[in-house]
Amino acid sequence: MGPIQIKCSCGEKNCQEWAVIELQGVIEAQPEFQNCLQNLEIGQLCRPSSQETYTFTVAYHELTGTKVKLKKPLLVLKKVKHSDESVNSSESSATVELDVIGIIRQKILFKTRPKALITSSKKVLA
Amino acid sequence: MDRSGDAEAVLDLQPNSSISVAYHPDFGPHDDLLLLELDEKLLPDVLCERVSLRGEPDEEAVFCTHSKTYGIKFVGTSNSVFLIPPTNTLSFPKNAMNVDCDEQKFDKPASISVLKVASGNLELVEVAPRLDKLKLLLLQKPFSIEEVSEMDTYSGSEEHIFVYRWDDLIGRIQASDSELRLGLEALNALEINGFWRILDDKCIDSVLNMLLHNAVLNDWSFDALPENEVVSVMESDGFPSKLSTHCLRVYGSKVDNNDHDGVSLWKLNEKEVCLHFARRILRNGKVKKDKFLVEWNSKIPRGMHTRFEMLEGEVLTERIGVEIWIHAFSVSSLPSTPAERFSILFKERPKWELKDLDPYIRDLKVPGLSSEALLLKYTRRSQPRPDVEPIFSAR
Repeated sequence: MGPIQIKCSCGEKNCQEWAVIELQGVIEAQPEFQNCLQNLEIGQLCRPSSQETYTFTVAYHELTGTKVKLKKPLLVLKKVKHSDESVNSSESSATVELDVIGIIRQKILFKTRPKALITSSKKVLA
Repeated sequence: MDRSGDAEAVLDLQPNSSISVAYHPDFGPHDDLLLLELDEKLLPDVLCERVSLRGEPDEEAVFCTHSKTYGIKFVGTSNSVFLIPPTNTLSFPKNAMNVDCDEQKFDKPASISVLKVASGNLELVEVAPRLDKLKLLLLQKPFSIEEVSEMDTYSGSEEHIFVYRWDDLIGRIQASDSELRLGLEALNALEINGFWRILDDKCIDSVLNMLLHNAVLNDWSFDALPENEVVSVMESDGFPSKLSTHCLRVYGSKVDNNDHDGVSLWKLNEKEVCLHFARRILRNGKVKKDKFLVEWNSKIPRGMHTRFEMLEGEVLTERIGVEIWIHAFSVSSLPSTPAERFSILFKERPKWELKDLDPYIRDLKVPGLSSEALLLKYTRRSQPRPDVEPIFSAR
């Protein structure tokens, strides 16, 4: 097997930038949506002021975060399999390539615990 | 840097505006998408397609630039890392733009799509090239003296088992191009009819002996061998020019020569030639030191001088009773990974003095670790008194 080539069709200057939203923990959908998350709304991302601070509202939770420049860029690679039909034999072998399809240089990071937007009302005992 | 669609909507979100975040219509594990963290200085190499992943299917892949090798490790995260592509990457319609933060009701909110939640990313760590396998591959079928006669009649149609072209090697060896070339050089490998070969002992003996014999016959100085004459005479003795120039390269060095009308001159390296004959004597096993020295001096060409220090990293001596015996133990035969190297060293000898051990670890290349650091990691140092040499044993 030969080396796996890392290809980049976009060239050095105009590699497409991807975005990342990172938060602590996991967002869990309600049981009835767990197998069909496609198109489901997660929440609302908001930039309340000219500063690089953001809020992310997920249901009744609000997260506060900032835009962070990554110390080292992340490349988004896509594994592509090409099947090589060999001329002499009936066997076909697959060669793998990795295509650079994007770059990530910054992320919006929510590293604090969520704040509850509603609180349960206190019951007054008679 | 091109930004478009969803990613742009996130990264360029305007003050006092908001945007809805949803799962992409194609949201899923997308195991074919990988994140690779890399140093800014490596970026041009990747974007200009000068890198590759190397290694066989049953090995851990390494990432190679033209001159360096990097190990790849996966670093997991317990955070949720939402990946948002530019819309046109996945031919997904571009969304409307931002909506005011305070506006609670809107018919069709601007929305960005999360394609995947990444569980971590790949990281690169500079490592030494893994060249031990190169020697194993090339020693499967060394070039023999019997093949010399076929060199010039090669047709290319023969069956090739256990011989390797450059392209075969870069697919199998976990090293960058530069490191692989240096590895081939260190093994004194030679490209013959497109295949990289190591000459077997009998073959290299024959070529060197004929070269030395012709030097005496033609009254050539060992310090100024004329390349074209050497090649011509050797060819008439049945040795193709490729073998004689290879022999000059292995056992000599080119002389800077401005006043010989463009004739290339070579100087034989006394140490390399003497070492060749020492190895030949020790092929048969352990020898008494005195007997070895007599035989060694009798074998080398007149005008050359042996010194026992030449054998550093090539032989070990041991005292048995009143006699000192000597046997071959060459650093070039040892593995290049520190753990394996030290394991073999301590099997050979449980305790080492630094002066004996140093020649066997000097060549170990581990990025970020000096020889001292390797000794700390893999050996136990003991020194009963300050006035005696420290002893190193297995940790």
